[in-house]
Amino acid sequence: MTTPGGGGAATAAPPAQPAPLAGARHLLGELYARPTSAIGTTLVALFVAMALIGPWLAPYGPTEQILSDRSQAPGAAHWFGTDRLGRDVFSRVVTGARDIFLLAGGGTAVAVAIGTVAGLVTSTLGGWWEEITFRLFDTLLAMPALLLALLLLGTLGPSRSSVLWVIAVAYTPIVARVVRSVVLSVKTREWVAAARMQGETLPWILTREILPSVLPALAVEAALRFSYAIFLVASLGFLGVGVQPPNPDWGLMVAEARDYVYLTPWSLIFPAAAISLLVVSVNLAADGLGRALRTEGR
Amino acid sequence: MLVRTFFCTRLGVHIAASVLTLALVIGTASAQTLSVGIEIPSQLDPAFASADSEILILSNVYDYLVEIDASNDVQPGLATSWSVSEDGRTWTFELRDDVTYHSGAAFGPDDVVATFDRLREPDSGLPTADVYADVTSVEASGPAQVTFTLSEPNPFFLYDLSDNHAVIVDADATDLGTTFDGTGPFRVASYNAEDRMSLEANADHFGGAPGVEQVDLIFFAEQAAAVSALRGGQIDLVLRMPTPLYQSLEGARGIERISVPTNAFDLLRLRVDRAPGNDPRVVEALKLAVDRASIVEVVTDGLAAQGSDTPIGPLYGAYYRQDVTPPARDVERARELLAEAGYEDGLELVLNVPDSGDRPDLAVVLKEQLDEAGFDIEVRLQPESVYYGDGGWLEVDFGITGWGSRPVPQFYFETMIACDAVWNEAHYCDPEVDALIETAGSTLDDDERAEAYAELQRILANDGPYVIPYFFPQFAALADTFTGMELKAFPGRTDLATITVR
Repeated sequence: MTTPGGGGAATAAPPAQPAPLAGARHLLGELYARPTSAIGTTLVALFVAMALIGPWLAPYGPTEQILSDRSQAPGAAHWFGTDRLGRDVFSRVVTGARDIFLLAGGGTAVAVAIGTVAGLVTSTLGGWWEEITFRLFDTLLAMPALLLALLLLGTLGPSRSSVLWVIAVAYTPIVARVVRSVVLSVKTREWVAAARMQGETLPWILTREILPSVLPALAVEAALRFSYAIFLVASLGFLGVGVQPPNPDWGLMVAEARDYVYLTPWSLIFPAAAISLLVVSVNLAADGLGRALRTEGR
Repeated sequence: MLVRTFFCTRLGVHIAASVLTLALVIGTASAQTLSVGIEIPSQLDPAFASADSEILILSNVYDYLVEIDASNDVQPGLATSWSVSEDGRTWTFELRDDVTYHSGAAFGPDDVVATFDRLREPDSGLPTADVYADVTSVEASGPAQVTFTLSEPNPFFLYDLSDNHAVIVDADATDLGTTFDGTGPFRVASYNAEDRMSLEANADHFGGAPGVEQVDLIFFAEQAAAVSALRGGQIDLVLRMPTPLYQSLEGARGIERISVPTNAFDLLRLRVDRAPGNDPRVVEALKLAVDRASIVEVVTDGLAAQGSDTPIGPLYGAYYRQDVTPPARDVERARELLAEAGYEDGLELVLNVPDSGDRPDLAVVLKEQLDEAGFDIEVRLQPESVYYGDGGWLEVDFGITGWGSRPVPQFYFETMIACDAVWNEAHYCDPEVDALIETAGSTLDDDERAEAYAELQRILANDGPYVIPYFFPQFAALADTFTGMELKAFPGRTDLATITVR
């Protein structure tokens, strides 16, 4: 199940082009039409806000060690308690949001960009280009994303930018396949054939005739990829090969707190809850997005 | 989704393994059986074994020629007495003449000769070849006597003889990795690799019959799992665990926590054979930037003994100089020194850290302290096996290393600090220091040795490229239905025969 949510939206008919503002309003309306996607969207919005203003929200520095306040339970001074080095867990969780959005979001954006271009161009051209590109992608897909990530990080050495590139490499083939599945069903349609016969150039056909049909599926795929990317960043942090201490990476915080689960459970529970909540809400929102785009296409 | 599958599978395996272990444990437990949770042993040939779990099995199934007790004193083992010649180069050992192996074969001096000839074979590539490089011959000089001849005097020879690897094996033994015919207090009754090993008491052991009839060694992949099993009453003893697990057992019903101070330490070192470490001002700034007392308090929760940047800790008694301390923390002075050395905008260094024990915590606290004093530290964690495995730890400029506890300090100087030391990770080389190490390792005059060690401590505390903030204790926990355990600094050397049912 490597292309969730893709196929359904792929049958999208000729590009509908409503006014952008009305489109956005319609989309929001659809997202809030169902309680699950409404909750998901709201939570994602809250997390985005946290990522944007987190550092101003945090009462303490994320790496600040308050030696007099070590291993404090949650309370008025420290809402989520402090870890054994005296760091405020609330400040770390809130500040860590930005990192996870930058890494998971950035990696997903790169994967979507490269995957879309590769999928669009090679599938439309067909022939050897398509064969070579997708056999190459199949090779990458044969490996579980986490294994691939560990392999690449072992080679690149752990750093923020490596994590971002690892996500891009792991998810580009998946995005490309989703794009390809839509392109294959669309490229023989009459309006594409008509454009060809009119003598339109390839870039024009790609961007004006084919890309709009791909967009709904692509949007849902991007959102889903993002949720897996969050999980991947957290997993890498947990395994100690991703973001390095003392950065407030959620996965890393869970790993660091593992042995302290009896002593300072709060230093484990809050970052773990943040990861779960973000992944679930992105999934719910993506689900709603898919539904909304399908109804729009109808 | 692939990611999720990976975790589900892993979790599934863990749960299945735990359930299986639990079922097996409950099946055989009895009052006279001591169940010990240990890590999975992988190499049980005495020449190659190194992990605590492996040494624990060897030291309880076999015997050493001489034993080192909990207070670092030498005690008789298979040798009852010994003497050394005037020049310190000929050691003669009287052996027990009534000892038999578990198989019934008689123990004799040939076994001692065969054991040490194997361990000291220069071309074998064995870690012990270095330890016994000064042994020129081992001979059976009587029906119950062996003589060792050395190329030079070695005041620590008895400690070398009790090296972890040096259990005495039958000269005719083959397949040392899979068959275990020792003389020790326990014989191997059954062994399922990666699951468990059952030992039964050898009532004829020269040290007297062990306190329990049977010992089950249950293998755990993680110490946290072993501690949970101890909490649940499925096992009776865990011989080592990290600080937080030990702390979490405070007040746990039916469990006695045991800790012993050791000379094991975590070391921060800067490579000094190239920039930036080759500038003495940088080394001085490093030493001035560190607050050792605060590290002991925060990283070890006050449970460790504070260090003074030398490998000689309080446990070495007469050799340890309490009055020698590194310069007190002075952040301003450290900044000035770094500026003078040309790093007024901050000295960027990558701190390489193995991801075991308290080392990650130590790295994070050190980063805070050093950054405050004008350094700009980037922490890089690595799996311990990778970091030490490929020799990378000897190459990096800046790193943390964990050093195990040894009964004598000479080991650290010869393997870590001397110019030609195999593990000279700081690439440190000082002729004066080398001369002192040579003196300490060869003189038969204990006062002269103490004076050499004192001078070494003064030099290292003030100018050595090392920060040794603490000597950490060893933690174990025993069900309170048992008593009589003497935990050793190297927990694998703990004698399970002294444990009895309360």
